[in-house]
Order: sequence, then structure tokens, then C-alpha cells
Amino acid sequence: MGAQGVLDWRKGPATGLAAFLIVFVALAPFYWIFNIAVTPEEQSFTQGIRYLPTAFTLDNFVGIFEAVSFGRAFVNSVVVAVSVTAFTIVLSLGAAYAFARFNFRGRRLLIVSLLLIYMLPGILLLVPMMVIFRTLGILNTYPALILAEATHAVPFGVWLLTNYFASLPRELEEAAQVDGCDRMGAMLRIALPLAVPGIVAAALFVFIASWNNFLFAFMFTSGESVRTLPVLLRMFVMGESGVYWGRVMAGAMLTTLPVAIAFLFFQRYLIRGLAAGAVKG
Amino acid sequence: MTIYPAMYALGISTTDANLLRLDSARALGLGNYTKAWDDEIFTESLWHTLRWVVVNAGGQMLVALPVALLLNTGFRGRGMVRAAILVPWVVPGAVVAIIWRYMVDANYGVLNDVLLRLGVIAETIAWIGEPLPSFIVISTATIWAGFPFFAVTLLAALQVIPEDLYEAARIDGAGAWQRFTKVTLPLLMPTILLLLLLRTIWLAHSVDLIFLMSNGGPGYNNYTVAVYSFILTWSQLLLGYPSALVIMLSVVLLIASVFYIRSIERSREWM
Repeated sequence: MGAQGVLDWRKGPATGLAAFLIVFVALAPFYWIFNIAVTPEEQSFTQGIRYLPTAFTLDNFVGIFEAVSFGRAFVNSVVVAVSVTAFTIVLSLGAAYAFARFNFRGRRLLIVSLLLIYMLPGILLLVPMMVIFRTLGILNTYPALILAEATHAVPFGVWLLTNYFASLPRELEEAAQVDGCDRMGAMLRIALPLAVPGIVAAALFVFIASWNNFLFAFMFTSGESVRTLPVLLRMFVMGESGVYWGRVMAGAMLTTLPVAIAFLFFQRYLIRGLAAGAVKG
Repeated sequence: MTIYPAMYALGISTTDANLLRLDSARALGLGNYTKAWDDEIFTESLWHTLRWVVVNAGGQMLVALPVALLLNTGFRGRGMVRAAILVPWVVPGAVVAIIWRYMVDANYGVLNDVLLRLGVIAETIAWIGEPLPSFIVISTATIWAGFPFFAVTLLAALQVIPEDLYEAARIDGAGAWQRFTKVTLPLLMPTILLLLLLRTIWLAHSVDLIFLMSNGGPGYNNYTVAVYSFILTWSQLLLGYPSALVIMLSVVLLIASVFYIRSIERSREWM
């Protein structure tokens, strides 16, 4: 066990209590989303606050698909997030492998500028992107949002995958080359399969960030045909016609589920990715 | 792909450009930059930015450190706890905003209900509608969503501290508190300082939660420079002036970061 000897009461009830408290604080708001989402709308506002649902209904879930274009926004979110992820991984793989394996002129400069670009705040890029997209006539289309998110995702992907490739032993690829593989074959058949955990981590990070992105989506996709879930959720709450909280919570639940499930399934990869970044960063 | 827009932002910040009449934008030189200092909303939002960054970066650190220490003790079910606390981190900002807004709602909010039952308050508070309460609520939501990443990164740093060091300290008679202050904290410091820097930069430029929870209101009470700039672009389609505001913010942060990193390196030389 990795006992580090700081908290000597670690196995006692205090640890359990503290752990419970932390988990409660982290997860209680999700219970509240569920509670409101399954309560019939009229009950939520007539009978005061109830800590346990007294009635169970799926009306709110049905409601968001009928009353607002939730299904459409869901599809938009999937299209954008999957595109950004695929685009990022394809672009980053080649660049990352080159950074990790070849020593070429300007390599350091490129890596540093990549990190600097990654640090550039989205809010600074908002105005130029708006002008560029307007000039290109692609405001309110998928490509605008995909390109906007890729400006952050690609530097991140390259950086994470460079670290990952660099951590793989070079000797395996050299051995493959001795055995008659060419450089490309060594990369595709040896390095790539070994890098799968790193690729999964990068893909998940990018997917989650894209799925959750609000700023770019809000500015570049005002029309219903490309509107993503976070933008739709804001419209629910800021709506002029009064807020149906039951539906809002049903929408919030369905927006959260895909990323929460993806995270819980692949959290080992993510945490390893985080740890690698933290140790090296 | 990214350098060009950044340069573009610099260029456009010297004009009075507006999305609706891009072609007829007039050059103002540094006009936008000097104008900002006569703009009371801007000078006020500078203070709000400072308050926002200090409270939230500090708050996340103060929550994350004990959590990381607890997770590092290796109790049973640690993996599950770690996964559970990371869930708020993957939740979309729009959902974080909704759930916290609802929990503090003046009429239907659970926070008012709990506080009333406990007798802490005598009547319900319109949390989002009041200057200080809205800041507290938005900060709480931000810390809730932000501390998991902080904690897990700290945990990763904690786990590479060699067990031998604690063993040696114990043999030398150091108690739990001394082992924490003399072994853990110094070794953790580089990570903490780096995380605080990254978080500060990120928070200073963040718009999502403030905008989603209160539109920067009530009034201008939660306007940070980033939020102000964003709202100008969004509601008035202004391009030049908001760019100038964000560039000033980024430059100040860049200079502060350089000094910060320098002073860290200098203090490390003394150790």
C-alpha cells in the first residue's frame, strides 16, 4: 500500500467519514438534477422542496424532445465532438511521433510555440475567429465550430502524444527496422499499437472538452441547425417564457450522461494521462 | 492556425471595428487602450478579476490539498473515491451553472431551505440577485467544478515522493505534522506553485460560469475583464475595443507570470 505516513489515523473512522464527505459534496448536485428531472413539473412548484421524489415521471424527458429541438442539438453535439476528436488525433499523431523520435532543426522552438499556443486564451481568439469565419462565410456551420475548437485541441493532442511516444522505448522500433521494417512500418506496426492508451486518453480529453465547450459554440452556432447542447441549455434557462425546471434538469442529465459514462469507463487512461502530464509538465 | 488570429486581434484592437461594418473600420491607434482607463466598468472589472482569481485559485487549492492527502493514504475504495470526485470535472459548464443556479434559487432552492431549517437565516436570500451572495455562489460552483483536477494532479505529485523520506523523518522523531511541513509540503511546492499559475491564467480568461450563472450581474458586480469583453462582443458585436481589453489582460498576466516564475526560481536557489 502506498501509505505515506502523513495521516496516521488513515484506517480509522475519520478517514471513512472524510472520504464520505468528499464524495457527498462531489455527487450530491447530481442527485438533485435527477430529483427534479423525474418529478412532475407541477409538483416541483406547488409542494415546496422535497428531498426524495414523491412521484416518478418521464414527462420531462419526453418534453424536451417535443417542445425544444433537443434531439437536433444532441446530434449536433455528437457530430462536432466526434469530428474535432478525429481531426485532432489524425493531425497530432504524425506531429507527435516526429517530435518524439526525430531531432530536427527548430524542434525545440516548435514545441515551445505549441505550448504557448495552447496557453492562448479562447477569449482572445474569439474576435479574430469571428471575422475570419464571417469572411469565409462559414459562421453558423459545423466547420466553423470544429476549426475553432481544433485550435486548442491540436496543440494539446500533440503535446500529450509527444510525451507518450517519448516514454516508449526506442529500441523496439530499431529492432523492427533491423528486421527489415521501414521507418513508416516501424511507426505503424510497433509504436502506434503501443501508444493506444495515450491515444485513448488524448481522444477522451478532446472529446470531453469539445462536448462541454460553451464559448465558441455560443458565438459561432446561433442557428438551430448547428446549435449544440450547452447553448441549448442556456436558452432553456434564459428563456423569456418562464423556466420549466423539470425539463431543464432532464436536459442537463442527458447532456451530462455521455461524458460521465465515457469518463467512468476510461478513467484509468485519463488519470494516467493526467499524471503523465503533471509529472512532466 | 493560431498565431495568425492572435496577430489579427492585435491589429483589430487599434480600430473601432464592429462586425456589422467591418470594411469601414477606422484606425484609432492606441485610442481603445487609453479609452479603457476612463471606462468605469473596465476599471471596476479589473478589481473583480483580481478578487475572482484570488478567491477561486486559492479556494481550489485549499480544497484540493486535503483531498489529495486523504487519497494518498491508500485506504480501501480509494479508486472509487478518486473517480467520484473527478465527475464534477467532466460535467459541462452549462450543466454546472444550471444545477448551482437552481440549488440557490430564491423560491425553489435547496440552499435557502437548509439554511432556514438550521436557523442560519431568517428569510430566503435571492443569492444570484445580490452582489456579494452571487459572487460567493458563482465561486462555489467554480471551486466545485475545478478542485478535482487540482486534487488529482497533486495526488500524482504526492505519489512520487519516496517512502524512504518519511521513514527517515520518522526515525529522526518527526511527528505527523512535522512530516507534513518538512517533507511533504516542500516537495509538493513546485507542483502547487505551477498549478496556481496555470489556474490563475485560466480563471482570469474564463467566461463560462459567470456568464451562464448571472450574465455578469447583478449590475456589473461580477464583470471580470474577460466577461466584460465577451459581453461587448456578444451583445454589441464590437470587435476593436473588446480585443484591446483582453490584450491588456493577457499582457498583464504574461508579465506577472514571468516575475512569478523568476521569483520561484530565485527562492529555489536559496533552498
